[in-house]
Parts: sequence; structure tokens; C-alpha cells
Amino acid sequence: MRDLRPSGQIVRGADSAADAPADDVLLAMFAAGDAAAARVLTDRLGPRSYSVALRMLGNRAEAEDMTQEAMMRLWKVAPDWVAGQAKVSTWLYRVTMNLCLDRLRKQTPDRLSDVPEPEDGCASAAQKMQDEARRDALQAALSKLPDRQRQAVILRHIEELPNPEIAGIMELSVEAVESLTARGKRALTAILVGRRDELGYDDD
Amino acid sequence: MMMTDDDTQLDQLFAQARQDRPALPDDLAVRILTDAEAVRLNLTKPKRSAPRSVFRRMVEGIGGWQGLSGLAAASVAGLWIGFAAPDFLPDAATYLYGSEATFALADLDTSFLEDAE
Repeated sequence: MRDLRPSGQIVRGADSAADAPADDVLLAMFAAGDAAAARVLTDRLGPRSYSVALRMLGNRAEAEDMTQEAMMRLWKVAPDWVAGQAKVSTWLYRVTMNLCLDRLRKQTPDRLSDVPEPEDGCASAAQKMQDEARRDALQAALSKLPDRQRQAVILRHIEELPNPEIAGIMELSVEAVESLTARGKRALTAILVGRRDELGYDDD
Repeated sequence: MMMTDDDTQLDQLFAQARQDRPALPDDLAVRILTDAEAVRLNLTKPKRSAPRSVFRRMVEGIGGWQGLSGLAAASVAGLWIGFAAPDFLPDAATYLYGSEATFALADLDTSFLEDAE
């Protein structure tokens, strides 16, 4: 299991992931009033939510807001959580992803109010996303993918989740996920090749 | 051959991205835990029954159960005073009409009876 602990010292929960209770147990503990359970859950799940949000949006401030909101929803759902119904992490990935998709859809007016930008709002939003990701070739390429392909690729190749779990997060069949991932990878390859051509590199 | 190179490049980028996965920023962790604490305190507060009856709202209007018990005590005291007024309290009729009014009332009462007969 990867160590998902952040570098900060905020969390002093369990000594190791193996000793700590499962996510749904922690959630039940939190619902019963255990504040320490919230710290362990934040430590364990927060970075995953933040990681995918950052890759989806390409913007730190927005990714932070999405993660805060997703975690807020987790705290609120805690008393009604049915143990064994779904994995907490799957649920949180789904909520985070949906918040990101909503944000991307609403992005144009927000951006326009933030930054005085002329003409086509969609183009400027995409442009800004690319600007912020300029130093990260992968992020730049990801930002050009259709939302669903980007989701599938991030969950498969960066979060390294198994396809059935991605299917649960995206509420799709496993076959649909495989298809999205494959198309996403092909598109990314094409974008990267195009970018290389733009930059004047030659394959020969 | 070219495709393989491109795939390798993409795989390398993925590997790099996995390695560079961001830690949770400390200030974000603080924000999340602040939210958690607010929700937790709300969860552990005693629950209020959802639909509040007219009686309950009326009771709350006069200051809750303390107000209600005060009101009850005052009512009982008032009733008791009405039945058995202590000597130091004036009689209601005397208080309202004055001591002369009592006599006038008594005179009127008898004269009326005498006239009728």
C-alpha cells in the first residue's frame, strides 16, 4: 500500500495504515463523535481527492476548494453511511470528480469575473488552464482531453485504480471504462506528438 | 516503432505524475479539519424533534418549561388569593369602587327591594 500521508504534522493518527481501522469504521467513529477519526480520514483520503482534483482542473486553488467541499460532504454523510455499501474512497473519488466536472462546466462565468478577458470565454478558460500547466507536459495534454476521458485516464494511470473501481466511480460499465481509457491514451499520445512537432522536434 | 516510443514517453509521464502526486497542503488540511469539527459538534448536539407542535411553540414563546412553570405557579397563586384573600390585601370590590361604594351598593339593594314591595 502506498503511503499517502502528507508531509505536514497535522495528523498523528495511527502508526501505520495496517493498524488503523478501515475507512468506514473511522467514519462511524467520527459520526459517534470521535474527532481523531476525522484526522486519520483526512490524512488518508484528503490527498487522493486533492490529487485527482488537481489533475482534473490544473489549478491548485480550485482543486483545494473541490477537496474541501468533497470532504465536507463526507463529514455530513457520516451519520447515514451504511457500512459495507460502498468503499469510502470510491465514494469520495466520485464526489470529487463530480464537483470538478461541475466546476469545469461553470468555469466560464467564474473566470470572466476573475480575470478581465475578452471574447470567447471557453477558449480563455482552456487557455488559462494550459498556461498554468505549461511546465507540465502531461497536464497540458490532459487538459485537452474530453472530461470523461481525462477522468478515466487519471484514475487508471495516475491513481492506479482497478477498472471495476473506476467503473464504480464513473458509474459506467468496466467495458466503457476500458474504452475511455484506451481512447484517452491514444488522444494523449497524439497531443504529445503534435506538441513535439509544434516545438520543432523531429522524430528522425 | 514510432508508436512504441510515444507510448514509452506517455508511460514515463504517467510514472512521473504518480511520483509527483501532491501531498495535502497543510492549510487545506486545517480547513478540512475545521469543517469536520463543526459538523462533529453539530452531530453530537441533542437532536430537536423535527415537527414542533403549536403547544410546544407556545411554550417556547413564554420562555420554555421554566416560563411555563412560572406561569402555572402564578396562576395557582392567583386562584388561591381569589378564594382566600389574606387580610393585608384589599377586597376586590373595595379596591375598585372604594369603601363608600360598598355602602351605596348595600343601600341600593335594600331600597330597591322596599320599593318593589
